[in-house]
Amino acid sequence: MKLTTKQLTLCALLTAMALALSYLENLFPLSLAIPVPGVKLGLANIVTVFALWALGPGQTLLILLARCFLGSLFAGNLNALIFSLLGGLCALGTMVFLSRRRGLSLYGVSVGGAAAHNCGQIAAAVLTLGSAAPLYYLPVLLAVSLLTGGLTGLVSACLFQGARHTDLMKG
Amino acid sequence: MPMKSFPKLRPTAWDGLVALCVVLLAAALAFFQWRGETGDLTAVVSVDGTEVDRFSPDDLLEGPRTYTGGGYTLEVALSIDYEHPASSALPPSGQTGLRVAASDCPTQDCVHTGTITRSGQSIVCLPARIIVRLEGGKAEGGAVDAVLG
Repeated sequence: MKLTTKQLTLCALLTAMALALSYLENLFPLSLAIPVPGVKLGLANIVTVFALWALGPGQTLLILLARCFLGSLFAGNLNALIFSLLGGLCALGTMVFLSRRRGLSLYGVSVGGAAAHNCGQIAAAVLTLGSAAPLYYLPVLLAVSLLTGGLTGLVSACLFQGARHTDLMKG
Repeated sequence: MPMKSFPKLRPTAWDGLVALCVVLLAAALAFFQWRGETGDLTAVVSVDGTEVDRFSPDDLLEGPRTYTGGGYTLEVALSIDYEHPASSALPPSGQTGLRVAASDCPTQDCVHTGTITRSGQSIVCLPARIIVRLEGGKAEGGAVDAVLG
């Protein structure tokens, strides 16, 4: 994949934003209200949704991989890498598939991505712990993904609305 | 640099179908996983995928048990408020509940999970890689479930 300087710069900016959003969501621990391991707002998925339409799946994958590796490195917790990687890849795969369905808006794509992200994280927990016990939490996480995916869709819609007249959106 | 494409910004009926699929999947999983039995239960504790302890929850009447994994320590206790026994939150008669009373893990999700009372239920601590799971049990017609925290 050959990137122009502008594309590379945009990828770097979006990666930095995704890392910042991942850090920011730690300030709003959703697990206090919903005590389930791994439950999060998934704010970094806003960047994934935006990049998917603005840059395409290939560059979105690069941003996702950079975010997962750098996030685990900065947190000093490489065990978290498999969780973010499996969750992120499942979410991206689902979003790419859903974004090609003509009838769906950002909301449907975001909700599907959030649900897939949680499925990926539970799969990572099953693999890591060597037990199917984490599956017990999946129904709750899927229900939560309706809210977090809806929130991601709302923020992404505002983002696209605001950026509609910028250079990024102009052919 | 042109935008690859521009998404629909308003929700559509097809979005509702995606949400419905998620709800149905959650409901199906809950139906098959959340109908464990109460009664004669056995608690199984695993650390890092290896079973390290197996006991009857009543054994915890003697006191809580501690387990260490990933550099963190969990204290598993019967569902009794040891500091205020008079106001204990024991599960209803005939049921026994377990909870993680204390943990030094950073997320504290295991502590916040609350009490588990049915077979198949588990408390997972990801940082410590510890799982406390209830197994066995027998159906008790008309028994009232404990409220999960």
